[in-house]
Amino acid sequence: MGHAANGTRVQDYIGDPISDSPPVDRDELEEIFRDIQSDLRFDHELNGCLNCGICTATCPAAHYYDFSPREIVQLLWTENLEGIYDAMQEKIWSCAQCYTCAARCPFGNSPGGLIMLMREVSIKHGMQSAKDVLRPFSRVMLKLISTGNQLAPDMINADHFADWGPNISKIDAPLKLLRKAIPMPTLNTIETAWEVNLKTSVELYTIWEMTGVLDQLETIDENLFDVITDIMDEKREDWEDFVDGQGDDD
Amino acid sequence: MTNDDKNTHDSQSNERFTGHGSEWREANLSREEALVATSWVEQKIDRRSMLTNKDRVEDVRDIMWQLEKDGEIVVHRVKDEHEPINVKTLYGWNKKIPTTQLWHHKSCGQCGNIPGYPASLLWLMNKMDIRYLDETDQTSCTAWNYHGSGIGNLESLAAVFLRNFHQAYIAAKAEGLREGYYYPLVHCGTSFGNYKEVRAYLLHSAELRARVKKILAKLDRLVDGKLLIPEEVVHYSEWVHVMRNQIANHQEIDASQIRTTIHPACHVYKMVPEDAIYDDEILEGNRVAVSTGIMEALGTQVIDYSTWYDCCGFGFRHIISEREFTRSFAIDRKVRVAIEEANADVMIGHDTGCITTLDKNQWIGQAAGKPVDLPILADCQFAALVCGAHPYKIVQSHWHASSTEILMEKLGIDWRVKKQEFEDYLKEVEAGNQENLYDPRRMITSGPGFKRIEQRS
Repeated sequence: MGHAANGTRVQDYIGDPISDSPPVDRDELEEIFRDIQSDLRFDHELNGCLNCGICTATCPAAHYYDFSPREIVQLLWTENLEGIYDAMQEKIWSCAQCYTCAARCPFGNSPGGLIMLMREVSIKHGMQSAKDVLRPFSRVMLKLISTGNQLAPDMINADHFADWGPNISKIDAPLKLLRKAIPMPTLNTIETAWEVNLKTSVELYTIWEMTGVLDQLETIDENLFDVITDIMDEKREDWEDFVDGQGDDD
Repeated sequence: MTNDDKNTHDSQSNERFTGHGSEWREANLSREEALVATSWVEQKIDRRSMLTNKDRVEDVRDIMWQLEKDGEIVVHRVKDEHEPINVKTLYGWNKKIPTTQLWHHKSCGQCGNIPGYPASLLWLMNKMDIRYLDETDQTSCTAWNYHGSGIGNLESLAAVFLRNFHQAYIAAKAEGLREGYYYPLVHCGTSFGNYKEVRAYLLHSAELRARVKKILAKLDRLVDGKLLIPEEVVHYSEWVHVMRNQIANHQEIDASQIRTTIHPACHVYKMVPEDAIYDDEILEGNRVAVSTGIMEALGTQVIDYSTWYDCCGFGFRHIISEREFTRSFAIDRKVRVAIEEANADVMIGHDTGCITTLDKNQWIGQAAGKPVDLPILADCQFAALVCGAHPYKIVQSHWHASSTEILMEKLGIDWRVKKQEFEDYLKEVEAGNQENLYDPRRMITSGPGFKRIEQRS
């Protein structure tokens, strides 16, 4: 069992057992844990743990990854700061967020919910692991933050989803025409899942700003942040022009 | 890998990173011993008791009514005009499901990827003269991104929830009707679970309410200076469930020979489980009633399978960037099991991500030497299909990668003829003669493109 049997793995090699990176400063470990613990959901999601392992028993991610929701709960319950940091490097990103663990835990814990807190904090601290993991997610974030839709027809194509087969539609016709043939007028779109009112996008942008989400984004991906800022500034101007135009009409 | 293989591997590397902590030791159980050791867990999860044996369960609606009494919030009520039907949830509590005057809170994944899902729902509503509004002034719930990436936070999720539900509350004004006329109907399972969770935190936390109130004030989305909270958060599958017998009255195609398997969505019934519908008449009340109820009402044979309880493998992040996990789980834990154990003709779901995952990931199975072929549809798509909806115009089955054609053949639908009809129809669409389920002028309720009722001639 090597390091695991000696019980020295976590303390000696924080983050990556074979990396040359220096051990993480104790203050930073404490700050990370404080950030997790101070979320108002923390006490609701963690009530205690007897290590029964029910959560891990049918965890889908545990079937395929070196991942155990029981371990995550234990790390938080025992305030194992090094272990928490270690888990935030990779393991927390294995979770499929199905909340089977939460439904099953006899203590009413929500390991999936706790993992969300850890993911948020890993982004707040700009962890490289979070940046690496989220890089493929940038298309979704760009679409979501700039339009209010997370998925759009133009994102589903054979280049990006080759494993879904050669035909996105079994009817061979241009995407624009197929979308126009959907009998819901809101869905006759390509760049968004539905037509989004201009005011809606502007309001959502205000929410992103006021809740610190744009700051999160800037920490993780500065280029994406710049692109989104430009898009949203333009939409705000469009909205202000419209509102001014209404005033003129009056 | 056998235990011997593992041991060899261990002895060679002298290191094994199990993730189970330093005290962990391999049990080295045989397959039979392992089954005995864990079978009680499998039995337990098949029962409703898994969710009902817990303490500390509260009905957050009690807090909601108290906060309204204290003058802190306004509750968007399910009123008689919404013609609600009462159902029982996990603990036997009542939940009011509005059946008309519905504001469609669409799903980005459904609309972007499987548009026959919402189109079938609206078609069923037209069939039963249900009043509704499908408009452009709504965002997605943003929870797919949140669960996948961690970008977002409780405050942003809460603000988006309150913003969209406020829009549902005021939308009718654009049609000259009063506030509260429409009641929001949430299409996506992820949105449904997220909104219920967020509502609970909002009701519990004065601090959270204070923080989002500033945002909603800036958006001019308070009611009498207060936050607007919905009395019930309602998923479309719940509407389908309470309307199942009325839907069945419109059935044109016999489905009694169809062997159906159900895939229940995790965020519909595992998240805030106390709000999920259970019915003693449906699977003896041991499993969530939605989808099973409508499929039974339509006369199909609902067949059980051992991985009913498993998730689909969507994973939020995984379907984008770790699809090996998603497709392996979808094929090995769901689709293949449904075929082999239940000899299923179709798998029915009630959520965006599940339908996408189970449907789209079958194609790669052939390349990986794991060929599986099982039609995947949402409950409302199947219902529309057997009630006579056009398989391509309405059900939009061409967006499904799985073999929906096999299912149509079993239902006696000549899909080749229907496909040709649709291809001919596309020429009409090209000429600007497309058919819509509602008047397109209704979809814009403010801002650029909005026309008041009196201007719509």
